[in-house]
Amino acid sequence: MSKHILEIRNVHKHFGSQLVLNGVDLDVSEKEVVTIIGSSGSGKTTLLRCINLLNEPDDGHIYFMGSDLMDPKTDLEKLRMHIGMVFQSFNLFNNKTALQNCILGPMKLLKQSKEEATENAMRYLTKVGMQNFAHQQVTRLSGGQKQRVAIARALAMNPTIMLFDEPTSALDPEMVGEVLSVMKDLAKEGMTMVIVTHEMGFAEEVSDRIVFMDQGVIAEMGTPQEILKNPKEERTKAFLKRYRSNTLI
Amino acid sequence: MMILSMTLPPKDAFFETIIYLINTYASFFIRGIYITLLLSVVGTLGGFILSLFLTILRTSEIDQRRDQGWVRVLKHTGRIFSHVYITVFRGTPMIVQAMIFYYGISPLRLSWWTPLIAGLTVVTLNTTAYIAEVLRSGINGIDKGQMEAARSLGFSRSEAMFLIILPQAIKNSLPAIGNEFIVNLKDTAVLSVIGVFDLFRATQSSTSSNFRIVEGFFIAALIYLFLTFITGKLVNGLEKMSSKEKVNQHV
Repeated sequence: MSKHILEIRNVHKHFGSQLVLNGVDLDVSEKEVVTIIGSSGSGKTTLLRCINLLNEPDDGHIYFMGSDLMDPKTDLEKLRMHIGMVFQSFNLFNNKTALQNCILGPMKLLKQSKEEATENAMRYLTKVGMQNFAHQQVTRLSGGQKQRVAIARALAMNPTIMLFDEPTSALDPEMVGEVLSVMKDLAKEGMTMVIVTHEMGFAEEVSDRIVFMDQGVIAEMGTPQEILKNPKEERTKAFLKRYRSNTLI
Repeated sequence: MMILSMTLPPKDAFFETIIYLINTYASFFIRGIYITLLLSVVGTLGGFILSLFLTILRTSEIDQRRDQGWVRVLKHTGRIFSHVYITVFRGTPMIVQAMIFYYGISPLRLSWWTPLIAGLTVVTLNTTAYIAEVLRSGINGIDKGQMEAARSLGFSRSEAMFLIILPQAIKNSLPAIGNEFIVNLKDTAVLSVIGVFDLFRATQSSTSSNFRIVEGFFIAALIYLFLTFITGKLVNGLEKMSSKEKVNQHV
């Protein structure tokens, strides 16, 4: 059995009076690609944001490489350096160029020299096909370009795991492909990834495991074949039926 | 010209009187302009720097799970301090603050506690409160995703504040900070009450022996207007620059 990088245990989360996560358990192994699907409001984004404690669970444990992130004594900042995150709305640092976005963390947090950080950053910008835009202000890039820079920024920290929060949901349709293809390459190279997405075709292609969430719990979990082709749970079937009727029109 | 206006013109000769006052008291007016500019520049720059500290205090958030007892007390005290500070300094007139500070500290007989030093202190402390408010709205205007992205990389809250949030908030706040400078140019006139030799006081001195008060303050008004007009133009330029960039962001 391969080693678990991430173990989520019995995580609960409220927003006000609303229960968003109602006891979620999930393990992620090294080099595994796990995709979380489900309708909006099912808690999938909240679960992803709980992994690096951008949302702090009310209860439960998040073990990352053996340390419990929920333990107040854990150095949260140190562990976050190993957890890359890509956001739906990119969240690039608006006052900086693409390259500056990618070297800030490595220089300030990993204490790399500017030369070293720049060399690394250029390698990752090349990997996402953005090397020619390194010195552009990020506010002038298109959505797809921004998201690729955001991926390079996360990669520049040399993370152990990457979290993707609906990375293509804010993109124009013609830009979805360029971002997904970067993510596919990452998956092929063996990056451990947890992805929240609505792109079922993509999920089917890259995932080792698909997690279907509904009403704050994991309703069903399995290989893409099991979840997308032969779902056992009624709510999974209903969700996929709804999804397909919406996309085939 | 100097020789022509050496004697005081008759009372109804408005413009001759003005020329007479300018020629006779040029050194007063120049000194007054210098002090008014000094008060405004030091007050705005000093207020800006101090307001950064105040902003750090008031934007700190207590982490219920991780902060130790004393960190919580410190953060809580800081928040209360900044709140009280801003309320007091924005809620009282600068002329009152000047009286309390100058005459409150004078009995200590500190040789360096001159009206000018007291004036510089008061205008700085006063401006701090106003710029802190400007910065707060600047920070509120920054998308919260910026903070989240910085935290997700592994930056602490304060590192993210200094490296990511504040630089953007300051840039967006520059026009409003420029406005504070213009306000200071005019409002530092009240500091003459503690004997600061600013433009207002200089004009008073120029007219105290000849009682040509209207003519004297007409000159002062023109000088104030000139100073605020020029800085207003500069601030407008800043505003245009930043709005131009905002348009580009949406292309």
